[in-house]
Amino acid sequence: MAFEEINSKMVRATVAPGQRLFSQRGAMLAYQGEVSFTPNLRGGQGGVMSMIGRRVANEDTPLMTVEGSGTVLFGHGGHHVQVINLSGDTLYVEADRLLAFEGTLEQSTVFLGSQGGVMGMVRGQVSGQGLFTTSLKGHGSVAVMAHGGVFEVPITPHRPVRVDPQAYVAHHGDVRNKLSTALGWRDMVGRGSGEAFQLELSGSGTVFVQASEEKL
Amino acid sequence: MFRLQGSKVLAVDMTQDAVKAKNGSMVAYDGEMAFKKLSGGGEGIRGMVTRRITGEQMTVMEVRGQGTCWFADRASEITLVGLQGDKLYVESSNFLAADAGLRTGTSFTGTRGASQGNGLFTTTIEGHGQAAIMSDGPAVVLRVSAQYPLTVDPGAYVAHQGNLRQSFQSGVTFRTLFGEGGGEAFQIRFEGDGLVYVQPSERNTIAGDV
Repeated sequence: MAFEEINSKMVRATVAPGQRLFSQRGAMLAYQGEVSFTPNLRGGQGGVMSMIGRRVANEDTPLMTVEGSGTVLFGHGGHHVQVINLSGDTLYVEADRLLAFEGTLEQSTVFLGSQGGVMGMVRGQVSGQGLFTTSLKGHGSVAVMAHGGVFEVPITPHRPVRVDPQAYVAHHGDVRNKLSTALGWRDMVGRGSGEAFQLELSGSGTVFVQASEEKL
Repeated sequence: MFRLQGSKVLAVDMTQDAVKAKNGSMVAYDGEMAFKKLSGGGEGIRGMVTRRITGEQMTVMEVRGQGTCWFADRASEITLVGLQGDKLYVESSNFLAADAGLRTGTSFTGTRGASQGNGLFTTTIEGHGQAAIMSDGPAVVLRVSAQYPLTVDPGAYVAHQGNLRQSFQSGVTFRTLFGEGGGEAFQIRFEGDGLVYVQPSERNTIAGDV
């Protein structure tokens, strides 16, 4: 495993020759050994087309490539950090929540609007979460950031999970998502409970939720 | 049933029963839940009138259903409080959730509110059951007894329960007004028998500038 949680807000990564890491630019706190940090103009992997895709999708968080031999400490903005290990499955996470990930993972941008029809389109507008999300696939580990601690909620076929769109951090597994609304006409005239929109996740997998409704 | 998941998330397991919680504090749930807006200041017409007069801006929802519902608010630390027929006084901004069976209301706090900018009224929770309160950093619980009164910084005060009298103390002197204040110009003094919840942080208060 490339990442080790030092405390709730810091991770230590081990870099070895021939292995690459990607991290959010400026997230390095300290390092030991011979390590080089190069700005990654293409914002990660995937070539020029992927870069354009990310620009258009507004999922273009500047990344840097970390190579060499040694250990690096990562942390950013005092946010909580959570390490998620992937073994062949796909993690969906907003690009600005990505702290660092192993180069063995394949990065791409997915359009989530198609999953929920019109409501999927509305989702981005309402929740402030993009219609596009970064996906990471393969074997390796990822460090994601959250405001407050993160907890995991399992999603099973008979037990879908609804999440406040602002508290949603990431999810993995074979999961469909759609924005559901609990809005009735009473809410329209100002009697809302403040829980009008919920992100509904069904299938089987895990969703990561933060203890806050604040965006990063 | 209330349980803490870490120090910043409250998980409530429900079987067709209900919980009152701060508006918008749900972060996730499984099973089936319905959310309905309630209003602070207590039930009935008296509660409504109280709210109008006091301006105590607590907006509360009732969550009813079957499954687990998770609550959190701005990554605040959460403390569980058990009530056995006694009354909990909590600043409305520090209230997260309570069993629906508990009565909520508003009470006059005297002049303390003025120094705090939090209004002159505070929220009360009464009955048998559990409540969850929030603080900026982990709250400590201090016991007050007849021999040991307690004095608290208004900005660090979160909640109190039991049979306590509170009085407002001012350390403002001639010197304070000329800019030689100790930074602790206002304090709340608790006497009697009960518990006071104090947070390791000070909200911005007018008193803090004196």
